[in-house]
Amino acid sequence: MPRWGMVIDLDKCVGCQACTIACKTENNVPHGSPEEQRSRREIYWNKVIAVTNGKYPHASTELIPMPCMHCDHAPCVTVCPVKATYRREDGIVMQDYRRCLGCKYCIVACPYGVRSFNSKEQEEKEYHRQDLPPDRSVWGPWPFPSRTHGVVEKCTFCFHRIDQGIKEGKKIGEEVVPACVEDCPAKARSFGDLDDPQSQLSRLLSSRGWVRLREEMGTKCKVYYLLK
Amino acid sequence: MNLTFTSIEGKSQGFWILAVTLGALSVIGLTCFMVSYIQGHYVLGTSNIIPWGMPIVITIYLIGLSAGSLILSSLTYVFGKKEYRSISRLAVFLAIVLIFGAMIGISLDLGRPEKGWRLFMFFIMNNMRSMFAINGILYGGYFAIGIFYLGFIFAEKSKWTRALGILAMCWASLVHMGTGAIFGFIAARPIFYSPIKPFEFLAAAMASGLALLIITVVSVFHFTKRKFDRKIIFTLSQMLLVLVIILSVIVGMDKLTHLYVPHREPALWLLSGPFSLVFWGLQVGCGYLLPLLILIHPRFKKTIKGVMIASFSVVIGIFGERFSLIIPGTAYPLPFYPGKIEGFWGAAGSFPFTPVESLMSIGVFAIMGLFFILGLKHLELLPLNEGAEQTPVPAEKG
Amino acid sequence: MRSGLKGKKQNRLKMNRRTFLKLSVLTGTVMGADQIIGRFDSPSALPLQKKTQESYEEKWIATSCLNCPARCAIRVRTVNGKAVKVTGNPLSLVSEGKICPRAHIGLQVLYDPGRIHSPLKRMNQEKGKGIDPKWVPLSWDQALDEVTTRLRSIRDRSQSHKVLFFSGLNTMSTEDMILRFADAFGTPNLISGNGLDVETEKSGNWMADGHYTETAYDLDHTNYILAFGADMLESSKPLARFLRKWGKLRREKPNRTKVVVINPRYSVTAAKSDEWIPIHPGTDGALVLAMGNVIISENLYDRDFINRWTTGFDSYKKLVLSQYSPKDVSKITGIAPEVIQRIAREFAQTQPAIALRGKESIAWPEGSHTSYAIFCLNALVGSIDIPGGVIYQENPRYQEMPLLVEDDMARRGKGQPTLDFRGTAKFPAAKVVTNQIPESLLADVPYPAEVAIGFNSNFNMVAPSTERWDKALKKLPFYVHISPFISEMALYADLVLPSTTYLEEWGYDHSPPGSGFAEMRIKQPVVKPLGGARSIIDIIFEMSKRLKGGPAQSFVNLGGHSESFVKFRTETLMPWKEFLEKGVWLGKDYEYKKYGRIFNTPSKKFEFYSGNLKSLVSKMRKGTEKDFNYLPSYKEAKFLGDKEKYPLVLLPYQPLLVVENGSQNYPWAQEIFLPMHGIGWDTLVEINSETAITLKLKDGQLVWVESPFQKIKAKVKFSEGVHPEVVAIPLGQGHYSYGKWQKGMGVNPNEIIGVDYDTISGQAAFFNTRVKVYKA
Repeated sequence: MPRWGMVIDLDKCVGCQACTIACKTENNVPHGSPEEQRSRREIYWNKVIAVTNGKYPHASTELIPMPCMHCDHAPCVTVCPVKATYRREDGIVMQDYRRCLGCKYCIVACPYGVRSFNSKEQEEKEYHRQDLPPDRSVWGPWPFPSRTHGVVEKCTFCFHRIDQGIKEGKKIGEEVVPACVEDCPAKARSFGDLDDPQSQLSRLLSSRGWVRLREEMGTKCKVYYLLK
Repeated sequence: MNLTFTSIEGKSQGFWILAVTLGALSVIGLTCFMVSYIQGHYVLGTSNIIPWGMPIVITIYLIGLSAGSLILSSLTYVFGKKEYRSISRLAVFLAIVLIFGAMIGISLDLGRPEKGWRLFMFFIMNNMRSMFAINGILYGGYFAIGIFYLGFIFAEKSKWTRALGILAMCWASLVHMGTGAIFGFIAARPIFYSPIKPFEFLAAAMASGLALLIITVVSVFHFTKRKFDRKIIFTLSQMLLVLVIILSVIVGMDKLTHLYVPHREPALWLLSGPFSLVFWGLQVGCGYLLPLLILIHPRFKKTIKGVMIASFSVVIGIFGERFSLIIPGTAYPLPFYPGKIEGFWGAAGSFPFTPVESLMSIGVFAIMGLFFILGLKHLELLPLNEGAEQTPVPAEKG
Repeated sequence: MRSGLKGKKQNRLKMNRRTFLKLSVLTGTVMGADQIIGRFDSPSALPLQKKTQESYEEKWIATSCLNCPARCAIRVRTVNGKAVKVTGNPLSLVSEGKICPRAHIGLQVLYDPGRIHSPLKRMNQEKGKGIDPKWVPLSWDQALDEVTTRLRSIRDRSQSHKVLFFSGLNTMSTEDMILRFADAFGTPNLISGNGLDVETEKSGNWMADGHYTETAYDLDHTNYILAFGADMLESSKPLARFLRKWGKLRREKPNRTKVVVINPRYSVTAAKSDEWIPIHPGTDGALVLAMGNVIISENLYDRDFINRWTTGFDSYKKLVLSQYSPKDVSKITGIAPEVIQRIAREFAQTQPAIALRGKESIAWPEGSHTSYAIFCLNALVGSIDIPGGVIYQENPRYQEMPLLVEDDMARRGKGQPTLDFRGTAKFPAAKVVTNQIPESLLADVPYPAEVAIGFNSNFNMVAPSTERWDKALKKLPFYVHISPFISEMALYADLVLPSTTYLEEWGYDHSPPGSGFAEMRIKQPVVKPLGGARSIIDIIFEMSKRLKGGPAQSFVNLGGHSESFVKFRTETLMPWKEFLEKGVWLGKDYEYKKYGRIFNTPSKKFEFYSGNLKSLVSKMRKGTEKDFNYLPSYKEAKFLGDKEKYPLVLLPYQPLLVVENGSQNYPWAQEIFLPMHGIGWDTLVEINSETAITLKLKDGQLVWVESPFQKIKAKVKFSEGVHPEVVAIPLGQGHYSYGKWQKGMGVNPNEIIGVDYDTISGQAAFFNTRVKVYKA
C-alpha cells in the first residue's frame, strides 16, 4: 500500500501563492471577503504564511506554503467523534462531509490550522463550479447536500485525481499529482510514495536536510520541507 | 417523621409572568437558532480561529452545574444525611433540567445539528478514541440515570434510590471529568493541555453546582413562601467554601504549570492579554476571592444574604472560568513556524458578541428555567408548606 | 404475602423470557440497521461525487493568458461549456509550461459579475469621480454607427490626427489591428501604456546595441543574477518564466545560481535570494559604475569581448576609474565599499552572470543612463549573446498583411506632430510618452483632441498623478471606451463598448521578451462570448467597414473577422488545425554570439559611448550636443518635494497578484494580495520600524501619506524590510468605478506621485516623489 506524502522545497518556492489559487479552482473552495478575513472565516485548503525574523537591514521573511499535513498520527482523526475524518489506507486523511456534524473538535485539535469551517451558505455564484459539491440540487441518500455550510473542510491531497489515476493505471507522483503540485511554477512541490525508496520523493528526502513543522507535536506529518 | 412532597400551585401572577417571559425568551432563542441553522454560523461570533463560542461555554457550564447538583443530592440518598431530604428532590430535578439544557447547547453549536444523532452511535459508527464520543456515552447515560433516579425517588424505593444514587454520583463525576478531558487532551492548544483538567472541571462542577443549588433552594423556598432549615444552608455554604478553595488550588496549579516553558507565552497572554479581565475579574475575583472572603468572614458567613451573594458570585465566576478557558484557549495563534507570523495567520483571534449568539444563549437558560418552573408545578418536588416547623427528626423511611 | 411473592416470582420469570425476546429482537434490529446504515455510510462509496460526474462534456482548449504582458500559453478545461480550470501548456518553452497565479484568476476575469453585456451610452453629461454616468444600453449597430459617424466627420474635415487611440493590455493581434487602424485612419496618436512601464530599459539597450526592445535573458545557464530594482518573482516580465527558472536555477542544476537583489525594499525576490542589499533610492547608477570601477581596476573584465566587439571602452574606463570609486559611491548609495567590491568580484568571476534591471531602478528622471550603465555591466563581463547571458529575442514573422491603402487624409494626418512629443527635442528617443497626454490635452498643445478611443486602457489609475488624467478625460469632447467592464477610465466615456476577455476571443500572441527563440501562441475562445461582448478585432473590422475609403480598403483581404485574421497571419508558420490543437509554435533554436550582425550601432559593435544617442541628439537638439552625456553615467536624482518638508521617498511597487487588465475585482487575488504581510483586500503603508517610531506612529493605525501634490490614507505597517528613508506602498488597489470585490478597498499611490520623465525615452518617473507620513 503506498503512503502518500509531499515534499516542499523552500529554496525553490518563489512565494507566488499559485498553489493556494490552483487548489481553490480545482476543489471548488469558496473565496472570502474583507469581512470574512477580518473575522477569520476565510477558507483556505492551502495557505502561505509569512514568518519574519531579524531587524533591518538583516531582515528575513520566509514564505511557507502549508497544505494539510496528512499526519500519520493525526490529532484530528483521534478526536472526530463520528469518523467523518479518518485516515485512509494509503495515508490520506479524508474528510467525509456527509458524516461531519460540524462539531469543530478537529479544528481545535489541529496544530497546523489547516482546517476550515464552512460558516455561511455561499451564494450560488461564489462557488465557481456548480457541477461539483456543494450543489443544492444534488441530494444523496440523506436529505441534505453533503458539502454545505456547517461542515469542516480541508485539503485532501486531491484524492479524486489519485483515485482516478490509479484506476487508469497512471503513475502517481509523476503523471498524476495534486493540483498544487502540478501548478507550482517553480516545481517546488513533489508528491509521491514515502514508502517507495525509488520514488522521486524518497530521493529528494535523502538528498538534503528536511524538517516537518511542529515536530514536537508528534503528529508524524507527511509533508516535508527542504530548507534553503 | 415523614416528609411529604408536593408540587406548587403555580397559579400566582408572579408564576405566570415568569412563565410567559421565559417562554418568550425561549421562542426568541429558537428563532435565533433557526437563523444560524439556515444562514450558517457566520451570524455567530465563531471563526476558524475560535471555533467554539458561547454555546459550548454554556454547555460545559451547564454540565458542570448539573453534575455538581446531582453529586450533592447524593448526600441524602447515599450518605443518608436526612437533613438534606427536603432539597434533594429539587437537586435531582435541577440536575436533569440542566443536563437537558446542556444537550440543547451542544446541538446549537453543531454546524449540522440534524446529524446530531451520530454522536450516539457508539461503537457502530463512532470513533471511540474521541473524547466527544466517550462523552456521548457519558451524557446519554447520565440523562437516563438522572431520570431513573428521580423516578425511584418518587416511587420511594429507598434501596434502588441508594444504589442509583451511588451510580449517579460516580457517573456524574465521570461525566464532568470527561468534559474536562475533552480539553485536557488537546496538545495543540497549550492553554487547554493539562492532565489536571478533568479534576479542575470536577471541582468547578461541584462548586458551581452547589452554589446554584443554594441559590435555587433559597429562592424557590422564598418565593413559594416555605420555611427551610437555615442550618443546612450554612453547612452547605461551608462545603462551598471548601470546594472553592480546592478549585482555586487546582486552577492555581494548572496555571502555574503553564507558566513554565513550553507553555509560558500562551499562559502569560491569558493572564495579561486582552482576556485577562475575564480571567482575573470573573474567574478569580468573582469565582474564588469574593466567595472566599465572604464565607470566612465571621459575620457574613452567618447571614443568608451573605451566602447568597457568595453563591451568586461563584455561579458567575465559574461561568467566567469556562469562558476564559475556551475563548482565550482557542484564540491564541498557533505557532506554525518559529518567528513572527505576519498578518491574520499570526494574530490572536477575537470573539465579538453577536446578537444571534447572545439571544440563543439566553434562550437556553430561558428554556431550562421554563422547564424548571413547570416541573415545580407538575411534579412533587417541594416539601409541604407546613408553616414554621420542619424539625429534622430522623425518619424511618426515606 | 406468600402468594404475592410467588406471583412475583412467576412474573419475574415471564418478564425474563419476554425481556429476553425483546432484547434479542432489539439487538437484531440494531445490527441490521447498522449494516444498512454502514453501506450508505461507507467511506469508500462517496456516491455524490460520482453522481455529479456522470454525464458531462469535458474539453481541454489551448489558448494563452492576458492578465499581464507575458501572455503565457495555457490550457483551459471546460465542463458543459463552462470554463473550470486553467493550467499551463507544456509545449510552451518560455515558462516550460508553467503559469503564475494570475492565470488561474482568469476564471474570475471571465465570469466577473461586474462585466457589461451591451454597449452603453452616457446620459449624464457631467463627468467625474463618484458621478453616476447614468448608462443606457444601446445596440451594437447604434453604437458603432455613432462612433463611425464621428470618425467620418473628423476625416472629412481633414482633422484625422485629432483622434487619439489609447491602448492598454491587448493581444499582439489586437495591437497589430489597432496600429493598422490608426495608420489607415490617419492619426499618429496611438498611445500605448509602454511609457508607464519600462521604456528606459529599451532606451538603455538602444544606447548600447541599437535594439529599442526589452531585454531577454538566457536563464537556463546563468550562474549569477544581480537584480537592480527588479522584482523578478513579482513583476518582471515574463513572470511565469522567472518563477519556473528560479526553481531550475536554484536546485535543478549542479551549480546553484547565486542571486543578489539590490533594492530599497525587501521584496519577495529579496526574501528568496541569497543576499539583499538595501540601497538609497535612485542611486543604482552610481553603484553599477562603482562595480565597473572594481571590475576594471582588478582586471576582471572580459578582454576578448571588449577588445573585439565594443567601442568607447576607454572613455568608459576613464569615467569609472576617476569618478566612481567604491568609497565615493558608498556615501551616495549607503552600501559599504567592501560589499561593493565583493559583489563586483563575484559578478565578474562567476560566469556567466547577468545584471537585471527593473522598474524600481530605472523609472527615474535619469533612468536611461542608469539603464545603460547596468546593461554595460553585462558587456563588461562578456555576457552578451552567450548561453546564460543577455540574448536577443526573436519574434515570430507573421504573414505580411497586404499593403496599407493610405489615402490623402491619412497621409496628412500622420504627418502631424504627435500629442505626446515623442521623437522630438523634448523626448528624442521616445516611442511613446504616455504620461505627457494629460498636459497636452489640457493645454491643447500642439492641438486639441476631438475623439479618443480607449482599448482596454486604464491610464487614470496606473499613471502617475491620476488627478490630471481625470481632468483631461473630462475635457475630451467624445471618448469611447472598449473593455469588458466599467474601468476607472470608462467612467469618463461617452460610449462604452463591451469587449471580450481573452478567454473568449481569437488572437495570436508572443512574449516580449521571451526565451530568445521565437514562440507564438494562439488565443481561441474557450467559451462563447458572454453577453453581448465582441472582440476588439471584430470591432475594428466593423468600424473600418463603416468608414469606407482608405480605412475600409486597408481591412479587406484580412479575413473579415477575427478568426480568419488570426488564421491568415499564422498559417505560414504553422498549419491552422495543428495550431488550434497544440496552441504553441516554436521557432528555430536560438543562435548565440551573432556579434557580426546583432549590433545596430554606427560602429556595428557594442558601444560604451553611445553613437546612437549622439546622432539622435545632433539631429534633434542641434547645438546642445556637447552638453549631453553619451556615456553610462549617474546623476543625482532630482526629487519632487524638498527634503525638509517631505522627509521620505515614496516607493510604489506592484505585488504579483495585481491583475494588469485594469480591474482587481477578483476575490482569489484580493484575499491573498500581500503575501509578505499575510493580509489581503487592502493597501499597507510600509515604513521602517525605526523611522515609524521617530514619527510617533503606532503599528496598524491609519496614516496620511502626503506628497506636494495629493494625499492618501491607509494603515501603516512597521517593517524591517524597508530602507529607513523610504515608504513602500503596493499598487493595484484603490479602485472606485465598479466591483463588489475591489470598490473602495485600499488606496492608489499613483494619486500622489508627481509628474517627471526620463527625457530620453519619455518614461514616466515613478520613484522620485517625496512624501511625509503622519497620523490620520
